[in-house]
Amino acid sequence: MPQLALHGVVKTYGQTRALDGAGLELRGGEIHALMGENGAGKSTLIRILAGLEMPDAGQITFNGAPVALTSPAAAEGLGLRFLHQELQIVPALSVAENMHLAHPYPTFGLGIVRWDALRAASLAALTRLGVTHIDPKTRMADLGPGDQMLTRIAATMIDTQGSLPWAYVLDEPTAALTGAEAERLFAALHTLRAAGQAILYVSHRMDEVLALSDRVTVLRDGRLVSTLMRDQVSRDQIIQDMTGRDFATLYPPASGEEGGAPLLEVRGVQAGILHDMDFTLKAGEVLGIAGLSGSGRNHLLRALMGAVPRQGQVLVKGQGIGQSPAAAWAAGLAYVPRERRAEGLMLHQPLADTVALPHIPALSTAGFVRRSWITRLVARLAQAVRLKAQSQAQVAAELSGGNQQKVLFARALAGPPVVLLLDEPTRGVDVGAKFDIYATIRGLTAQGVGVVMVSSDLPELIGLSDRIGILQGGRLTQILPAEGLTEGALLALCYEKEVV
Amino acid sequence: MVRFLRHYGTLMGMVAIVLVFWALLPDTFMTARNWLNITQQVSMLTVAAVAMTVVMVVGDFDLSVGSMASLSGIVAAVLFTLGWPVPLAVGAALVVGLAGGLVNGVLVSVIGILPFVATLATLTMYSGAAFILSGGKTIFGRDIPQSFADFAKSGLPLGSLGDKPVILPWLTVLALAITGVVFVVLELSTYGRRLYAIGGNAEAARLAGVRVTWLRLTAYGFTGVGAAVAGLMYASRVASANPTQGEGLMLNAIAAVFLGMTVTRHGQPRVVASVLGVLVLGIMDNGLTQLQVDSYVREVLVGLIILLAVSISALGRRATGRR
Repeated sequence: MPQLALHGVVKTYGQTRALDGAGLELRGGEIHALMGENGAGKSTLIRILAGLEMPDAGQITFNGAPVALTSPAAAEGLGLRFLHQELQIVPALSVAENMHLAHPYPTFGLGIVRWDALRAASLAALTRLGVTHIDPKTRMADLGPGDQMLTRIAATMIDTQGSLPWAYVLDEPTAALTGAEAERLFAALHTLRAAGQAILYVSHRMDEVLALSDRVTVLRDGRLVSTLMRDQVSRDQIIQDMTGRDFATLYPPASGEEGGAPLLEVRGVQAGILHDMDFTLKAGEVLGIAGLSGSGRNHLLRALMGAVPRQGQVLVKGQGIGQSPAAAWAAGLAYVPRERRAEGLMLHQPLADTVALPHIPALSTAGFVRRSWITRLVARLAQAVRLKAQSQAQVAAELSGGNQQKVLFARALAGPPVVLLLDEPTRGVDVGAKFDIYATIRGLTAQGVGVVMVSSDLPELIGLSDRIGILQGGRLTQILPAEGLTEGALLALCYEKEVV
Repeated sequence: MVRFLRHYGTLMGMVAIVLVFWALLPDTFMTARNWLNITQQVSMLTVAAVAMTVVMVVGDFDLSVGSMASLSGIVAAVLFTLGWPVPLAVGAALVVGLAGGLVNGVLVSVIGILPFVATLATLTMYSGAAFILSGGKTIFGRDIPQSFADFAKSGLPLGSLGDKPVILPWLTVLALAITGVVFVVLELSTYGRRLYAIGGNAEAARLAGVRVTWLRLTAYGFTGVGAAVAGLMYASRVASANPTQGEGLMLNAIAAVFLGMTVTRHGQPRVVASVLGVLVLGIMDNGLTQLQVDSYVREVLVGLIILLAVSISALGRRATGRR
């Protein structure tokens, strides 16, 4: 089996030492998880593997012989392939064409494409990966993100004269995937492993890592902390290695007892796939929403915010609210969107601007913005959510994922909110920031804020929610207490056939 | 060093240009008279560039400002020939500017046409309308009221230097005033902050409660009025109206905003920076004309300056963007 090892890797950027004795060993036939908080050095290590950065010190050996990864071509020559979080695809072209972007098209000569051969080669590659449900003729844009990822992996298996890959590096591959899509990806990874390929898997999702990996490497502050074999791996051990702290539990206990008048009433709301939505949220309560992809999970909060047209009534503290995001914010709904970069942040503007935006009416007099009020507000909120940033003027693009998410939490807290609407609140966020976010949510419920939280992270949903609503085919089939639920039971409820 | 060049490259370039002209034209360039002259020469472009900044803040742009400037001049001049009093004719021209801007706004914001396509179409329409209204002829001479033409010839007396009076031209005063108003609107008002938010991330702004469609539309209204003002200033300056006289304005206005964007901290369009861009273009033009450089050579040089500034900025961003 081929084997690639990195030892004692050091990499310094200016003043900061990104890597300080990091290491990793990739072996054919193994799925290897790389874990660490944001800033632990995972990305830098991967950039070194990819030949995008040169280490200042350290050894790299391939099958025992020293090698130099001086360029992306060198990394490819060693049989390494990289699949990034943001897939490089051309949405308007077919699956087959996308799979051949990095390969020569089969032609009749003179550049005339042999379409049948192109499709056959693509189909063969997909089949080798065990994927049979994707038609190479489909437009890439019509595939879900999971299938797009499978297509990208299959593309590396197309037979060409070049070196065949033996190792795959996947950076947060499931961040955008639904449960079912992730399952298909895992099946494909198992196929690769059985064929003797090595997989390096970077993820924040503990459960995936525990289920998939043969070996787990944990980095902290640029150092190799531990490499654990499958039988040594446990959730607590990984968290402790990542954070250097011992988290008794990730989820702080519920503090106050909820009760009193309903904060949010949703009556007969209909929007897109959603229909007959009826539920009530009380003060201090966390209502979790679970559902499969296509259940309307992604639309519910947008509909409540008035960002998509809806019918039916949404009442906040007994008052009906208008159908626009402006009306929703004004009524005390605060929204943390699913796609923080696309839907939440103004990436290239000072982070204070993002925080202040929905609250401009309250932060201005006679049409003029009061800068000093904004500065004071943002300073207070940044502390409340434990935001780590150089200054209020820092642009959001320069922050880590966890801190970007905290900017949006700060924005949601500014109102102050009556009801918090959270869409995948900890997606792509490291454990430390997750804990801060959970603490923030708990702090709010203790003050009587209500929370509706949509999440595909089931342990999080069970850990934080008081009640969990199950969304199936656009309908809330049931709402049940979260206490005592297991992940398996919750998943089963999501998959359950509707009783007609 | 790279970061320094990225932020101050354009400013240093401007200082260098001034020093070169000063050395080459020791007697005429660095004089109060010449600088007042420059401010008057760039006043129309300043107004057009400042107006362009408003739509560019939102992330759009407007190709029709030049033809709108021509059209507004023609509208005023045609109304003068019909015997309208100056304030009414000028007011009508401004209304035409507002209407033309709002048409652009509706096309881009409500109907959803790409700004390039929508304003390219209205560019030809407004230009055609100017030709139709004027019959393709220049309106000049007795048709233009004296008071309208006098505006550009007079100014605010600032005192005297030696035996000659120093006068700040009204065109300069007007350009400064409009710059001031747009500065207050963009930098200090809630309206302006929302425009910047849309430019930063339109979907995020919408979800944060900003009325994106409406605000984008009104931004075009601002730009239309600004273009009309620039056109009227031009007509007053040359005491005539010609259906093509605003032509050069659009490209220079966009160039000025882009030059300005090389100076600002996050590469955003800002009013003061746009005025700086206008000054760079104006000083180049003034100095090269005095040096009797051929006007075609001048165009090549101005183009090179713009490319140089934007290249340095882009390279600087690439060098500092990744950690």
